[in-house]
Amino acid sequence: MSADPEFENLVELYYRDLYRFGFSLTGSEVDATDLTQETFYIWANKRHQLRNPTSVKGWLFTTLRREFLKICRHRKRVAHEPIDEGAQNLPHVPADVVNRIDAQTLLKFLGEIDEGYRAPLVLYYLEDLSYKQIGEVLAIPLGTVQSRIARAKIKLLELLTEAKPRTAA
Amino acid sequence: MNTNEAKEKLLLYRDPIDDADPQFREALAYAHRNPELAEWLREQAGCYQAIRSKLRDVEAPRDLAEKIIRNQPIRFRMDWTQILKLAAAIIISAGITAASLELWHRGNHPVLQGQEIVVKGEVLDLTCYVAYNWSGPKHASCAMDCIKSGLPVGIKTEDGKVYLLTGKEAHVNDQLADYAAKVVTVRGKETARDGFAQIQVEEIRKF
Repeated sequence: MSADPEFENLVELYYRDLYRFGFSLTGSEVDATDLTQETFYIWANKRHQLRNPTSVKGWLFTTLRREFLKICRHRKRVAHEPIDEGAQNLPHVPADVVNRIDAQTLLKFLGEIDEGYRAPLVLYYLEDLSYKQIGEVLAIPLGTVQSRIARAKIKLLELLTEAKPRTAA
Repeated sequence: MNTNEAKEKLLLYRDPIDDADPQFREALAYAHRNPELAEWLREQAGCYQAIRSKLRDVEAPRDLAEKIIRNQPIRFRMDWTQILKLAAAIIISAGITAASLELWHRGNHPVLQGQEIVVKGEVLDLTCYVAYNWSGPKHASCAMDCIKSGLPVGIKTEDGKVYLLTGKEAHVNDQLADYAAKVVTVRGKETARDGFAQIQVEEIRKF
């Protein structure tokens, strides 16, 4: 019997989603585990401060991403390839190309995208959130959310296109 | 709207998540009339689903939920209700201690003398331990303050037995405050008053 059923229920409900989000951001099992744990412990300490208990999932995602940014600041920054602000050509990537690569390769490509663009892109793929909700989670305006996702998606598709000959070989 | 403009719009479209989003309506209608664009949209959707599936297939470690719940920190709300409860517990505890000392002086409740024992265990701030079951490293800072302020100090042995630590002089608190929530070994005479176990401390070994 748990001493804190509210905490236990919340963990059971969301730990998978948070872990996936953390894993997609970091590409590391250890970091994703730490981020997930830390997020729930922050909630445990601050739950009474939450203004809107119904938006707890969004709050958890926001918190995990904030903790992720702290990790990024503490570690040596990896130089990411710049996102082309004026990208016009939309790469053509058939689904079977994606199906042929493993999850680790996909995560590696995500890791090559700048953090500011990676988080909205991961939420775009992982969660059934509207663009407005993604903006609320990441605390960025709707227009910025959409432009960042579009640019990051083009970048990811370019990386997948470049990976095509390697995976086909 | 031309095909390129429609593609730029539909690059972000997710079926069915964005179905209700009006910004895609015109581009979707255009795709219905343009077979080439419709085919491009189908491929985009296939690619989106393939990436989504890969990311969603990531499994969290099996024991992660259990680990998070097991290691949950002690809940400590710093609101006024909690602070007042804690203050009340401290006042009551101090009152009980003062009354016990008074009775001891009067000799109404004689201390049952026992043998010399050596016990190893965690140094406890007995007020918070008895009132709230707070102990361990996460409570160390509070325990240190309580012990320094003169509230009853105890020791919890590895087999779970709790003793009140007393000394001939009032130095026990001073000696143990910095070891709050840490493990020490204590040698002294085991005594009891009204069934409550105590150790009259003669020696403290710290690690």
